[in-house]
Amino acid sequence: MSGSKPDILWSPHHPDRYVICDSELGLYRIGPVGSSETKPKETAATLLAINSDTPYMKCVAWYPKHEPECLLAVGQANGRVVLTSLGQSHNSTYKDLVGKEFVPKHARQCNTLAWNPVDSNLLAAGLDKHRADFSVLIWDISSKFSPEASVASEKSRFSAVELDSSTVVTKPLYELGQNDACLSLCWLLRDPKLLLAGMHRNLAIFDLRNTSQKTFVNTKAIQGVTVDPHFHDRVASFFEGQVAIWDLRKFEKPVLTLNEQPKPLTKVAWCPTRNGLLATLTRDSNIIRLYDMQHTPTPIGDETEPTIIERSVQPCESQIGSFAWHPSSQNRMVVVSAANRVMTDFTVFERISLAWSSTSSLMWACGRHLYDCAEDGAEGVQGAIEKDIATKMRQRAQSSYGHDTVQVWRNHLLAGGNDSQLKCLWYDLFYMKLCAEDPELKLQGNKQSLVHSGIKNIVKTSSGTTESRRCWSGSDRQTDVPRYHSEERCLALRLCGWISRGPDIDVEVFLRSLEHEREWERAAAVALFNLDIRRAIQILNKGATAEKGDLNLNVVAMALSGYTDEKSSLWREMCSSLRLQLKNPYLCVMFAFLTSEPGAYDGVLFESSVAVRDRVAFACMFLSDAQLPRYIDKLTNEMKEVGNLEGILLTGLTKDGVDLMESYVDLTGDVQTASFCMLKGSPGDVLKDPRVQCWIENYRNLLDAWRFWHKRAEFDIHRGKLDPSSKPLAQVFVSCNFCGKSISYSCSAMPHQGRGFSQYGVSGSPTKSKVTSCPGCRKPLPRCALCLMNMGTPVSNCPGTGKSDEKVDLTRENKLAQFNNWFTWCHNCRHGGHAGHMLSWFRDHTECPVSACTCKCMQLDTTGNLVPSDSS
Amino acid sequence: MELHILEHSLKVASIEKEGIQICTHGLVKLAFLASRTRCKFFSLTETPEDYTLIVDEEGFKELPQSEHISVADATWVALNVVSGGGNASNSQPIGVTKIAKSVIAPLADHNISVFMLSTYQTDFILVRERDLPMVTHTLSSEFTLLRVVNGEAVAAPHLGAANGFVKPKLAPRPVIHPLSSPSNMFCVTSLDPDTLPSVATLLMDVMFYSGGSKEASAASEDSGHIRFFSFSLIEGYVSLVMDEQTTQRSLINVPCPLEMLSSFTVT
Repeated sequence: MSGSKPDILWSPHHPDRYVICDSELGLYRIGPVGSSETKPKETAATLLAINSDTPYMKCVAWYPKHEPECLLAVGQANGRVVLTSLGQSHNSTYKDLVGKEFVPKHARQCNTLAWNPVDSNLLAAGLDKHRADFSVLIWDISSKFSPEASVASEKSRFSAVELDSSTVVTKPLYELGQNDACLSLCWLLRDPKLLLAGMHRNLAIFDLRNTSQKTFVNTKAIQGVTVDPHFHDRVASFFEGQVAIWDLRKFEKPVLTLNEQPKPLTKVAWCPTRNGLLATLTRDSNIIRLYDMQHTPTPIGDETEPTIIERSVQPCESQIGSFAWHPSSQNRMVVVSAANRVMTDFTVFERISLAWSSTSSLMWACGRHLYDCAEDGAEGVQGAIEKDIATKMRQRAQSSYGHDTVQVWRNHLLAGGNDSQLKCLWYDLFYMKLCAEDPELKLQGNKQSLVHSGIKNIVKTSSGTTESRRCWSGSDRQTDVPRYHSEERCLALRLCGWISRGPDIDVEVFLRSLEHEREWERAAAVALFNLDIRRAIQILNKGATAEKGDLNLNVVAMALSGYTDEKSSLWREMCSSLRLQLKNPYLCVMFAFLTSEPGAYDGVLFESSVAVRDRVAFACMFLSDAQLPRYIDKLTNEMKEVGNLEGILLTGLTKDGVDLMESYVDLTGDVQTASFCMLKGSPGDVLKDPRVQCWIENYRNLLDAWRFWHKRAEFDIHRGKLDPSSKPLAQVFVSCNFCGKSISYSCSAMPHQGRGFSQYGVSGSPTKSKVTSCPGCRKPLPRCALCLMNMGTPVSNCPGTGKSDEKVDLTRENKLAQFNNWFTWCHNCRHGGHAGHMLSWFRDHTECPVSACTCKCMQLDTTGNLVPSDSS
Repeated sequence: MELHILEHSLKVASIEKEGIQICTHGLVKLAFLASRTRCKFFSLTETPEDYTLIVDEEGFKELPQSEHISVADATWVALNVVSGGGNASNSQPIGVTKIAKSVIAPLADHNISVFMLSTYQTDFILVRERDLPMVTHTLSSEFTLLRVVNGEAVAAPHLGAANGFVKPKLAPRPVIHPLSSPSNMFCVTSLDPDTLPSVATLLMDVMFYSGGSKEASAASEDSGHIRFFSFSLIEGYVSLVMDEQTTQRSLINVPCPLEMLSSFTVT
């Protein structure tokens, strides 16, 4: 503390007071700035008192007890220890303590002071070396100066200094560490009679009960000894840039040494509010380095190399003079800068450990606080915030989304029915399925494979396109709108859902279904594109008159009825400009179509609010062979880029489709839809794509994480149906005790492949063998521990499965019964029997059913205690 | 008791009074700018005859070669008696008497020359490096021998040097040296190395210029006073020995709390 090196001491009992000492002592009070409610984090320190009575300060220690509260011991450069006080009217009871001096026989620097935390009368002072004196002196602050005979002669030695005999104590209670230097001291917390001292070349533990004995260890790391307040056997000391951590129970060598810093350390302090956190400061540095030993196992034993997490914090810009942990406030410290004594109130933030549950709730721990963050139950505020995809997927999994393989389009309803992209996707897949199953197409060989390859590929193969100019229905006027026909275009229209089947193009079915769904504008547009203005007007009228219909549709119908193909008519002019103000995209494209030049339908084709399938169908009808692939390519790339599932219509379930799905998954994370969709793709190469496999595996893991084990099994079955290669081989076999052959004859014929264990558990084959003896050696199979029948006999009744009379779900009951016949046995005691029997036994018992066997079979099964969270 | 064998390799040199000027640069650097050198052991003693310099090899590099400086051939090793080592019960300070009895006398019996250096903090017994095996052999019975390596004390390897060494006969040694005692009084003191810069000019004055005037020294010798001054900076500890007059002349205004603790006569 010689001018350049300030130090900070927190008051042991006032959490808002501290002392800064350099050339003088300054007492500060720290508190919030202004009103504490507004900004609780802003604090300021107020100077309460200054004490400059004690020159040549070298070290300071604060009296550890409540009363007197601001008593400080100051160690001076000449070895004297002076008691002084700060900011207090001198309390009469302790007045005699203040000003008291403790003087060593030989003057040399006092390096350190330590007040015994229990017996607070004891003040230990560590001094420099002297050839004929001790370096550790323990003073009794309550001792009165007694004019002994010897003192008179001793007093002559202090001739140079005026001594006030009433306040000077020259006889220490204990003298330790002869002919040595003491650089640091601390009382051990495990026993108040033990003093740890950093001597010249060793660390020594002095025991005041027997001062002739000391425990010591030779080391260089003798500065700044300090005991971990949370672990009384752990001590830190340092030497230059290196910190050594000691375990007093194994004092021969440091249990660990921390990474050496290039510059010498000036202070090392354990955090008083958190276990195993050590802060260190090096000279001329603006960072405080923290070492987290919280997770360090009890440092005993040489083999364990404990892990320490090292971090640096920078409380302020300038170089740090010193720091001090707050005695009670968590992880808080005050830092004082070296140059201009700027103080910073600083809290070390804990590293946050975060856990994200599979059901979209988030939890993190920071210090002693635990925060839980759950997704807002958006039931009430529908649509305010879109639910997390994981929540959506979970709900969809529960409603068997993706499992409707007949009415494929219904899957979008299972998904909630409010996602237009999913609706388009599942309709696309539905139409693909319809086409794929069409017997007429089946005959045509290669057409069949085209169905899943997407319109992009279909139109490429287009050949033999014919051009026709048709009349407007209900008028004999020839249009100048060319329409194109080909088999491929027809197939494309079917995939778009505009026409159902057969060579004659009849959209009437489609129009009726649209009318049924009250999509008036769309229906009108489709009718118009089929050159049936009258039908379009009729639809619009219907829409206007329907319940809750839009009367404006009549106005549109009127406008439509005025159609003329005169190039320079007022109608054309007004429609082409005013159509842009129509809010409904279908009404807009209707007028765009009517006012466009033949072959230039950009107003229709690039109206992005119109469904892709309608635009593609329109393009298939009105774009020439040259224009069509260009448009489709352009649209496909657009869809792929934004990950729009409507584009699956174009790409089909090809590699392009996987690309598109990839950007969709990147955007949404919806591996569920991706998995189900790609499973429909019959081409083997699509399913083999590593991305697809990745989605499927992730979806399965997700289901497992949600404990939707039944759903996962259902998914696996579904997957196995669509992709037979994904079916795992039988991996577990039950072998006969006598001959060692597999007892399942259905399997025994098969070559055993893939013996690795996988998630599929026991193969179902044992259920098929309704025999009570081994098919190989004809020896009987083991008996069930409960019914004592040989295995292989069906379970007669299922005691405990009360469900049998509740629901008449025959298929399910059947399956259950099959499972009840399965073999099961404990891997520990090797007892077992019919699965159904075992399950019912362990519902009421913990021990094995075999008498005298105390194996707690069920408890050994760690996953057996987990309950699936899906009910089916 | 523990006997620490320190890691410094020391050189002992004598500088003639006339030749002190050529050495001042190096000496000032060693005494007051310790951070600029790698020297850890430095002691300079002025007697009426010469300046005696004890310095480790790192510090020795700072000095020029000159006919005014005579250097002892041998490399010396410092021994330091530490009371530590388990029994602190012995509350009697270890003085020269004790060291003479327990260290010097046994070594004398084995005809090993020693060189004593006393400071405010402790006593160092310097022995020739080549004598070290014999020294450890001789003293191993009475002391725990620790060798300081890289600042840390480790058990000295037992040299097993018993073979070949003959235990000499113990014979009473008569004191045959003449003894004289100057009449002036001396002080031994220490000061905080951090405060060295502030007193450096005063100390330099005492070290190099106080004996300058022939008349003054002649006059003092007449009155039985001798010129004696010692400064050492060993492992960061400063020790000073000077006569009372010098103390009063130069250091009375030193802005650091110095106390004259014990005065004794230097023989």
